[in-house]
Amino acid sequence: MPVAPSDARPDVDRPRYTRVEGRGLVKTYGPTRALAGVDIALAASEVTVVEGPNGSGKSTLLGLLSLLVRPSRGTLRFGELDAREEAATLRGTVGVLAHAALVYPDLTALESLALTAALYGLPHAEMGPRIAQLRDRFELGAFADRPARTYSRGQLQRLAIARTLLHRPSLVLLDEPSTGLDASSTQRLVQAVADERARGAIVVVVTHDTGFADAIATRRVRLSRGRVEEAA
Amino acid sequence: MSLVSASIAIAKKDLTIELRTREITISTGFFALLIATLTSLSFFVDDAFSRNVAPGVLYTAVAFSAVLAISRSWAREREQDAMRALLVAPIPRLAIYVGKAISTLAFLALVEVLLVPLVALLYHVDFLDVLGGLLGVLGLATLGIVLAGTLFGAMTVKTSARDLMLSVVLFPLITPVLLSAVVATRELLGGNEVEVIAWVKILLAYDLVVGIAAGLMFDALVSE
Repeated sequence: MPVAPSDARPDVDRPRYTRVEGRGLVKTYGPTRALAGVDIALAASEVTVVEGPNGSGKSTLLGLLSLLVRPSRGTLRFGELDAREEAATLRGTVGVLAHAALVYPDLTALESLALTAALYGLPHAEMGPRIAQLRDRFELGAFADRPARTYSRGQLQRLAIARTLLHRPSLVLLDEPSTGLDASSTQRLVQAVADERARGAIVVVVTHDTGFADAIATRRVRLSRGRVEEAA
Repeated sequence: MSLVSASIAIAKKDLTIELRTREITISTGFFALLIATLTSLSFFVDDAFSRNVAPGVLYTAVAFSAVLAISRSWAREREQDAMRALLVAPIPRLAIYVGKAISTLAFLALVEVLLVPLVALLYHVDFLDVLGGLLGVLGLATLGIVLAGTLFGAMTVKTSARDLMLSVVLFPLITPVLLSAVVATRELLGGNEVEVIAWVKILLAYDLVVGIAAGLMFDALVSE
């Protein structure tokens, strides 16, 4: 289904790689094996929904892809770049939405977005317009000048999503993104995922929300006990 | 993003939060002033005796306030898992350390601006005569405490018994700073320059060693 990106800017949005590939990914924590040899290939303009019961390794897989966790064994490549060797460079191309909002409760939405823009090295001239664009897109305006501590769960999640997409990442990792969102916010999120896909980003989503997964997935991967059980 | 730019962005973030909440400066400030006031009621005997006690009180108040400030500063990184946003950002991990150290130094400097005159007043010590030397010793001591505290404070982000662990690890580590600073300040008040220089050299060496160790260890401490 063709989708019209609402904020695509082909000149600056072009992903720096179009494929992420993991081979034989193993991650152990002491005696616990969180991932037991996962092979996964992710391509641009695909939305891969990762499913599986609690403890199946979904969060660990996202941790590896976000370059926060190093695999105990196996290789992970972002295009031609090896994740182990180029982690520092690659971090700027990944957007991470986690269970928590990853924002400071005593900063306002605008301050949080400005901090993210600074940390991701957005050019100063681009910072203001990009933040304004996300403020409008995720309807943050009504509360953007208040500290995040005062936000509802849904407002906080909208800010977290805006923060994740601010630097136009090539790889977008969303962990339970629809949690706490009402119907209209969920619809906006579905559109945002479609926009990211249209922009050419690689999108990986972990969710237990089957309705949301059905609305966004172009591909599904099911994990069980640290292994890929099935991919469709 | 460069180390300097990222460090400034992180320090600026901490200062923005503190300007809004004033949580760290007020709590550590009151704590430091309370230590100075209570100890003056117990320890003041006469001017000669208090001149020897005052440096100990000053650095005890600074040390306890610093641990409180460091603990609160890192607690902010735990809320909403904000630290993870820094760890996944394309910045040198060391920038997190440097930024947090800069902001903690600023908080403590503000507390010391109030603490030093209060100690001078309560213990009848004329710090004005040795103000330059005092600022040097106090600055180096505070820097040493902050360098060590910020390094190990990072460990508390993922630890359950965080305040206990910070205190248990940090107080033995900053003992050389406290000893050197107390003796250097006492000798400063006594006009013994040779002794002061010897203790200041120890403070300098401590700051240098801890700074280099932090540069080498911080990434490993905050990595999974």
